[in-house]
Amino acid sequence: MKKLLACFLLLGCLPVFAQTDGLAVTYERTFYWSRLYDKLTFLSEEERSRMKTSWGANDDGDKSKGQLFITNSQSKYVDLEPEVDGGYRWRQSEYMIFRDFDKGTKMELEEFSGKNYIIEDSLPAPKWKVMNKIKEISGYMCMMAVSEDTIKGQKITAWFANDLAYNGGPERYYGLPGLILEVDVNDGELILAAVKVEKKPVAENLVLSKKMKGKKLTNAEYEKLITTHIRDSIKSRRNPYWSFRY
Amino acid sequence: MISVAHAQTSGRFTLKGVTVDTSGVPLPESTVMLLAPKDSTLVNFARTAKDGTFEFKNVKRMPYLIKITYVGYLPYQQEIKPKDDDVTDLGKIKMTFMDQVLYDVVIKAFRAPLSIRGDTIEYDPKAFKVQPGASVEDLIRRLPGLQVDQDGTIKAQGETVKRVTVDGKRFFGDDTKAATKNLPAEAISKVQVFNEKTEQSRITGVDDGKHEKTLNLQLKDSHKKGGFGKATLAAGTDKRLEGKVNYNRFNEKNQFSIIGLGNNTNQGGMSWDDYQDFKGSQSFNWGDDGDFGFGGGVRYISFGGDDEESLTIQAGRGAQNRGFNKNWAGGANYNFDTKKTKFNTSYYYNQTTQDLDATSRQTNFLTNSAFTKLDTNNRLNFNENHRGSLRYEKTIDSLNTLIVLSNMRIGSGTADYLSHQEFYRGVQDTTQLSNTSDQRNYSDFNSFALGNTAIFRHKFKKKGRNFAVSLAYNVNNSNGTINQRSTNRFVRTSQAEPDSILNINQENFTKSLRNQFKGSLLFIEPISKKFVLESFYNYSLKSDDVDRDVYDVREGGRTMNNNLSRYYNNRSTFNRVGTSLRYSHNGLNISAGAGAQQIHLDGKFAVDQNDPTRTRIDRKFFNFVPSVSLNFDLKRNRYLYGGYSVGVSEPNIRDLQPIVDNSNPLYIRVGNPNLVPTVNHSVNLGYNYFNPGSFVQMFFGAYYNYYDNQVIYSQFVDENLVTTTMATNISGGNNLSAYANYGFPIVKTKSNFNINASYNLGRNLTNINGELNETKSNGYNWGARLDYTPGDNFTIYTNANWNITDTKYSISSGQNQKIINSNYGAEMNFKMPKDIYFNSRFSYSSYVNDRFGFNQKMPILNVSVYKTMLKSKKGEIRLSAFDLFNKNRGISQSAYQNFVSQEQVRTLARYFMLSFTYNMRGVGHTVKRKGYGY
Repeated sequence: MKKLLACFLLLGCLPVFAQTDGLAVTYERTFYWSRLYDKLTFLSEEERSRMKTSWGANDDGDKSKGQLFITNSQSKYVDLEPEVDGGYRWRQSEYMIFRDFDKGTKMELEEFSGKNYIIEDSLPAPKWKVMNKIKEISGYMCMMAVSEDTIKGQKITAWFANDLAYNGGPERYYGLPGLILEVDVNDGELILAAVKVEKKPVAENLVLSKKMKGKKLTNAEYEKLITTHIRDSIKSRRNPYWSFRY
Repeated sequence: MISVAHAQTSGRFTLKGVTVDTSGVPLPESTVMLLAPKDSTLVNFARTAKDGTFEFKNVKRMPYLIKITYVGYLPYQQEIKPKDDDVTDLGKIKMTFMDQVLYDVVIKAFRAPLSIRGDTIEYDPKAFKVQPGASVEDLIRRLPGLQVDQDGTIKAQGETVKRVTVDGKRFFGDDTKAATKNLPAEAISKVQVFNEKTEQSRITGVDDGKHEKTLNLQLKDSHKKGGFGKATLAAGTDKRLEGKVNYNRFNEKNQFSIIGLGNNTNQGGMSWDDYQDFKGSQSFNWGDDGDFGFGGGVRYISFGGDDEESLTIQAGRGAQNRGFNKNWAGGANYNFDTKKTKFNTSYYYNQTTQDLDATSRQTNFLTNSAFTKLDTNNRLNFNENHRGSLRYEKTIDSLNTLIVLSNMRIGSGTADYLSHQEFYRGVQDTTQLSNTSDQRNYSDFNSFALGNTAIFRHKFKKKGRNFAVSLAYNVNNSNGTINQRSTNRFVRTSQAEPDSILNINQENFTKSLRNQFKGSLLFIEPISKKFVLESFYNYSLKSDDVDRDVYDVREGGRTMNNNLSRYYNNRSTFNRVGTSLRYSHNGLNISAGAGAQQIHLDGKFAVDQNDPTRTRIDRKFFNFVPSVSLNFDLKRNRYLYGGYSVGVSEPNIRDLQPIVDNSNPLYIRVGNPNLVPTVNHSVNLGYNYFNPGSFVQMFFGAYYNYYDNQVIYSQFVDENLVTTTMATNISGGNNLSAYANYGFPIVKTKSNFNINASYNLGRNLTNINGELNETKSNGYNWGARLDYTPGDNFTIYTNANWNITDTKYSISSGQNQKIINSNYGAEMNFKMPKDIYFNSRFSYSSYVNDRFGFNQKMPILNVSVYKTMLKSKKGEIRLSAFDLFNKNRGISQSAYQNFVSQEQVRTLARYFMLSFTYNMRGVGHTVKRKGYGY
């Protein structure tokens, strides 16, 4: 895997206009929670459609923001604090995604069911299919690529900008020949869309906090944790999707 | 997984090339992707160097799809096959410049206008602008490669389209124009053109090589129309009948539903599920309460209110286990929802006829004595209500929202009450008869109520600064007639012959009209990132106009009873202003605030309207109301919350009037003009824990209430056991409650165990014959639940609960009461072959009070067998047996103030029922499972 990534990098370094500075990209995350009820197989069709008719029209999507800092060799994605709106403010769960493209490693901090986990392992190569569709996002021409997350049951559609020669994207998404500016999970259950792209030095933002605490997991252990949780929750007639980052 | 680049000469090769524009100038920094031709999987990618060159070294020897992009140029795509050599050079790859027009069409569109997959050409309608309201035909005219003839015939690449399908299904047979002329263009998400086998080859299964052009219209999810409904009919022994039907039709913006139900099986009105199906998107309305106060930043849903009094439809009341009830209900609801506008209107009618037989026994403790009352009564009640509602919510823009709602209820009813009461001296109900009373009351009432509220919310440009204003106007008008007749015999010297007889025959006409005007203001100002200041003002003007005319009916006619007749007008003005400071950061929300409020009661009363002498009550009450609240996310699924608040309730105007109400000759009320408001201090603290990973849950908490100037009813009981009560203020009453719950899976997903316990301590004060009685009650409650759910075909749920209440009366220390109620339950479900299911539910309840030899046991067993049937399991036939042991009745017992009581009510007992359900959404259940959180 590392060899492959090294190969990416090697090729990536060839151009003269190599971008050394980096980018800070703000993404807006819109989560349509009412659509998840369709995935709860323990509900009858009647219960599911009841949820849809009662809540569907009232679900304008839960909105939050996150920020990606990226250079050619590293990227870091963090949640942004919600803006002051005069209301109650709930605790934000821990979430940080760090990728080192040079070394082919990752470091992810995620809160799952109230506990912090640090997933530290090599970067698994995602399997993208590049499609023929194109559209413009924030002034950049983007191509469409699709992928699938069999663990979380997600059909992922990503739009990447070839003009922005970075291999990263919002949250866990990466591995396309350009920066991922938009991600759509399961036709609109979750949308991550870039709202601001700033070219600036980001070296400082990429530094990892030394205070990070949590149980260490490998990729395989993390996958097992999520798989077991979804399986057990569905069997116990509980919605599994609230307790981790969908 | 992507193939890993190992250096194997034979199986590997190097691919290179140069990207240039049409005039041969190299294009540096263009993206070159290698895809697998089969499914476009990305295998490798690179960027071209300054001279436009690129090179993939040591890639697996296989055909590739090469895809190249460069800003401002059309994406280039080509399938390549490696040559036998180690290096395959693609040479110069010419990219075509994309002109502005094309760029706009291809790029600016939300999606690319068309894509080709195999022989299917897919168009995205979003890229082709049509007028709002245009038909699919208008859309098709604009799609490149498609044309529509004068007569509506569609041609694709010159060939006539033979078939039009919608979501892959035939639309109105073979008439291709039916769909394209009738469907709105905005409902379509995709237009696909492909070659489909002919009908003949599809039937025979032999591909004759002939194909027909087919046009498929993919509907947007949001434009999918739907309808669902459910109907149940049931008939049983003892003429038990049940019927329910509902139907719901919806599309993206509109929801329409109807419901109708009727039964004589004590089933009440709508269940929560029925209610949600009926009200659809308007089932739960947020922030419709315009009475801003402490904690105005939080929006909540409020339900409740008495079933009959409420303006809105009450659902989820469950089965009625008192008497024999006949219920009818029906209604219609319409919702219109868009992002900016939400509109709802509904009408709902319900009626209940209740036939109730009850016997009760109550012992009242006095200073050094007691008396016991036996009551056998029959009630026949009829109630009906028409409810209408309107709600309009408009998001004017991102900063302004308006909500207008109006709810109305028209109700009427009758109540026929027949009672025989016996009063005994002492705690026994066999000796020392003191008096008897035979009462017959008949009442007839009708009422009209209307509530209108408008709420306007404004967000300022400054983040977090919010303003809201609400106005409300409510009317409540009621009209009632009561005929009260009673014969009261007082026995003193002899147990056989009464010493005196009191006959009462009265007619009571009451008209009352309440008008209320309310307004509230709320202003939220963020002081810093973590501190917010919330301020509110409430105003209310309530006017009550009540005219009660009471007549004594005698043989010679009726005469007005000036002691009981009353006319009064009361205006109650309420003003409250308050502010609180809240700290909100990272899951910790603390707020502290204070308010000041004034209630002004201005009442005038007289015997009737024509009486010029009016007595006036003019009272002003002023109170400070502090408030503290805490909400803390302690991390690791732990939450802590608590608060302190003060509630002020004004005295009831009836209690303030210095008159004697002897309409019940054995229970006389006297008013007290010196009453002040009750101030209730309440404190609560709670802790919650739920681990969504391990399913362990735990919560505990406590709350405490203390009353200042509580309005209680002081009792004076004379030698004839006639009770006279007078409302009095008293301080010191309080109660404390603590509860705890712990649940965990014994075997994850298969078995759960849960235990709970609670403790209540109550201190109630009453004056009995001039002496202060303090009733102390200690309540202990604990229970356990064990679920066993090994799989989808078998489930068992068991539970046990015990409740012990110890009550002590200070004026009668020998009369301590111990009430023990317990319940054991078990439910079993399993699936048999051929879609047959079995459900049985057993419950054993016991009610004990040894002091009175009260010991009632009630075993109830319900069993049902059902089978799903018809296509997609849309039908269900069910045979049920209710209360197989024929033991069901309503039992309750309580000890409070200075009394202890037991009541038994006749209700629906054993019957058998056969029912059939047709559900358009499918009965689709497996073995019954109790749901958890969604």
